[in-house]
Amino acid sequence: MKSDAFLFLRNPLFLLCLVVAAAMPFWLPSYYLGIATLALVYIGLALAWNIVAGIAGQMSLGHSVFVGIGALLSSALLLKLGINLWLGMLIAAAVSAALAAFIAWLDFRFRLSHLSFALITLAFAEMGQLAALGIEFLGGASGLYLPPDKGNILQFEFGGSRGNFYLLFVIAGLCLLANLLILNSRLGYFLRAMHDNENAAQAIGVNLLRNKILAMMVSAVLTSLVGTAWARYSGFVDPYQMASPRVSVEVILFATIGGLGTVLGPLVGAGFLVAFGEIVRGKVGAVLPGLHFFIDGILIVLVILLMPRGVVPKLAELFGRRAPKLDVANLSTKTAA
Amino acid sequence: MLELSSLTAGYGRGQVLNGVSLQIKQGEMVALLGANNAGKSTLIHCISGLVRPTGGTLKFNGEDFTDLPPHKIVELGISQVPEGRLVFPQMSVRDNLLLGGINRRALPGRPKRLDFVIDLFPRLGERLEQLAGTLSGGEQQMLAIGRALLADPKVVMLDEPSLGLSPLMVQTIFRALRALHDGGLTILLVEQNLNLALAHASRCYVLERGTMILEGSSAELKNDPRTRNAYLGL
Amino acid sequence: MDDVLIQAVIQGLLIGATYGFVALGMGIVYSVSGVINFSHGDFVTFGMFLCYTFWGAFALDPYLSVAITLPLFAVFGAVLYRFLIRPIVGVHMLMIIQLTLGLSFMLQNGLLMVFGGQPLRTPSAFEAKLLFVGDSIVMRWPLVIAFVVSVFLAGLLYWVLQKTDLGRSIRAVHQNARAAALVGINVMAVRTITFAAGFGILAIAAALLLPGTPAHPGMGLRYTVITLMVIMLGGMTNFVGILLGGLVIGVAEAIGTVYVSGIAGMMMPYAIFVLALLFRPKGLIAGH
Repeated sequence: MKSDAFLFLRNPLFLLCLVVAAAMPFWLPSYYLGIATLALVYIGLALAWNIVAGIAGQMSLGHSVFVGIGALLSSALLLKLGINLWLGMLIAAAVSAALAAFIAWLDFRFRLSHLSFALITLAFAEMGQLAALGIEFLGGASGLYLPPDKGNILQFEFGGSRGNFYLLFVIAGLCLLANLLILNSRLGYFLRAMHDNENAAQAIGVNLLRNKILAMMVSAVLTSLVGTAWARYSGFVDPYQMASPRVSVEVILFATIGGLGTVLGPLVGAGFLVAFGEIVRGKVGAVLPGLHFFIDGILIVLVILLMPRGVVPKLAELFGRRAPKLDVANLSTKTAA
Repeated sequence: MLELSSLTAGYGRGQVLNGVSLQIKQGEMVALLGANNAGKSTLIHCISGLVRPTGGTLKFNGEDFTDLPPHKIVELGISQVPEGRLVFPQMSVRDNLLLGGINRRALPGRPKRLDFVIDLFPRLGERLEQLAGTLSGGEQQMLAIGRALLADPKVVMLDEPSLGLSPLMVQTIFRALRALHDGGLTILLVEQNLNLALAHASRCYVLERGTMILEGSSAELKNDPRTRNAYLGL
Repeated sequence: MDDVLIQAVIQGLLIGATYGFVALGMGIVYSVSGVINFSHGDFVTFGMFLCYTFWGAFALDPYLSVAITLPLFAVFGAVLYRFLIRPIVGVHMLMIIQLTLGLSFMLQNGLLMVFGGQPLRTPSAFEAKLLFVGDSIVMRWPLVIAFVVSVFLAGLLYWVLQKTDLGRSIRAVHQNARAAALVGINVMAVRTITFAAGFGILAIAAALLLPGTPAHPGMGLRYTVITLMVIMLGGMTNFVGILLGGLVIGVAEAIGTVYVSGIAGMMMPYAIFVLALLFRPKGLIAGH
């Protein structure tokens, strides 16, 4: 299992896709480049979320808080206190990490069931949005406008669409790398043991608290970084978009449709669905608002009924490759009657 | 009355029953014996429709009922008193009993059968409004049997009724079973307690690892060394 | 005694009864199938838009069109159970959450596509009428009607569960589905009927909550979250607990917005919810 995770990095097809993707600013028209950049945002979010949900098995509905912190806090620090956005990004990441550690501690200390954990994180997400809307320092309901992008890297400005694309490309890449590293490491081993059966894992000596906190913190930090990058890319930090529980739900849907627990699943899921969604929205959005989300809804229902492990594992199965191990669908704990 | 032919069943790849056959005539009390994992419970569950057999047939009075759903099997007249009693813990004794008679065939006669069961088990009558989960093990067993009886069954199958009960309780329960049998009820008894089974049943089957290895009258089997060997796992 | 406080408490109790009633829908569905329907609130919204449509087409007051939406929803619930939920029974709870989230997406955005994002009002007979009690208590009639209907129907539901064979069957399936099957209960039929009832409740709730409230496609999440909070407070399948939980949330919401201004007030129900989940996971009221 050890070399498995990195194996596909050497896969020529993957490398080809990587090169093609990296070259997108040079061959994609700018409208589509924007879509690709947004797709990278969600790819990063989905991969970051995969660490707690796919690998460790904790369904956090609260990751939108970390996105919000990454986007709003860093922007507010810049606009209201003049703090450099690089520094702001790190501060936001630290705050996210602290909050994540707290949530993970709650999970451990109170022995939360999967459902309770999901609901508590949902409550945090709702409260997070209320905070974002209500606190003037963070921009309140009207949001924040970042200063125009003049290309000064020291100011966390990357010079427009091409630069922003690469910013998000690098960050999404970080998230991908994190997944691979974790899956390949002892942490990943422990997390998957916890995923399957917490009591058994604890019995064989896995430190539940430490690992829960670690997973949650890594995931939160990455999410926060994506949030900051998203703010920079977008220029306008909209609390209704970047601090809303909807983001959590979208990420969950994309990652699950793609294949929770795998590495390619969230990547492919988020990438395709965001791209597809934006294109649909562009074509018929005025006449049929929400069509792409409607289709997303149909997709998740179909996926859960027909291929509960996700599209990527299903494709892997169809093409004869051994599907990745993790399997939320068939867990024996806490099933419905 | 009840006939199983070449029944096979299994979960996943392991076969739990390998071509088991069994017949019970009306009015008999038959025991099904065997060690822990012999497959006795699986057999009972197949009859009750909780487990779908992978092969073979189940017939009741000549009619094939292999594909019937569990609730229709109860309506047919086959009731099970499950292992572990499985009473409805947060419902009263009365509600538990009433539910026993919920099938279409038994419903009209339910009030009368309720009285009958209370006569049979006066202890239940004293505790009608008590929550079933608060009853003692023996009382729960009485309740489970009573509940099965309310379905107006033609055959009753009991899965390990003596499990976890005090000797005094076991006596009470089996005295009631004897009375029911004398009244004409057909009974299939699954018991780990060898002596108990041999003492009350007229005929026995012995199941070992999914195969019926012995069959005969209690007297015959009592003296057959293979019976005891099956229990010792030899 | 502070009049504003009394007014808030009464308001909270009135709406809280409906919250409790709506939550019962989720409670009984959960009790027989283990399914937590994250699109619960979106179905209420859907019901509201159906009422809006019937008003547009036939000038029907929501209190009347419920006669159509109720059976529609009941049938829909039954169909949903048979074809969407039953195939995945036994599967991890998180997958079911995701499935219902998918349904939520479909409902919200389907409504968005058909009706657009602007809030829509549905006129109703009593929507603007007020009920005066004493010299300082004012209540909106629709709220009072919602309260009375909710309490009545909750009582009816309770009676059915306690005193009828159907109700006993539902409780039996919840307590031990295997034993229920062995006793002759058609477990699948019971679950289907329960789903139908659970969804029927949503149709009624929609008609109760609609008068005086502009409906827009995204409002479902709020009702879902409220329902989840009520259920967790009350103890997922504890009938009385859920009703009380509804009242608690209703009052907390009312007092919160009156006394604690701004976002802290709006956060209060959520904060209470988190604390309750942490310290009283079995629900605020001890019991089954």
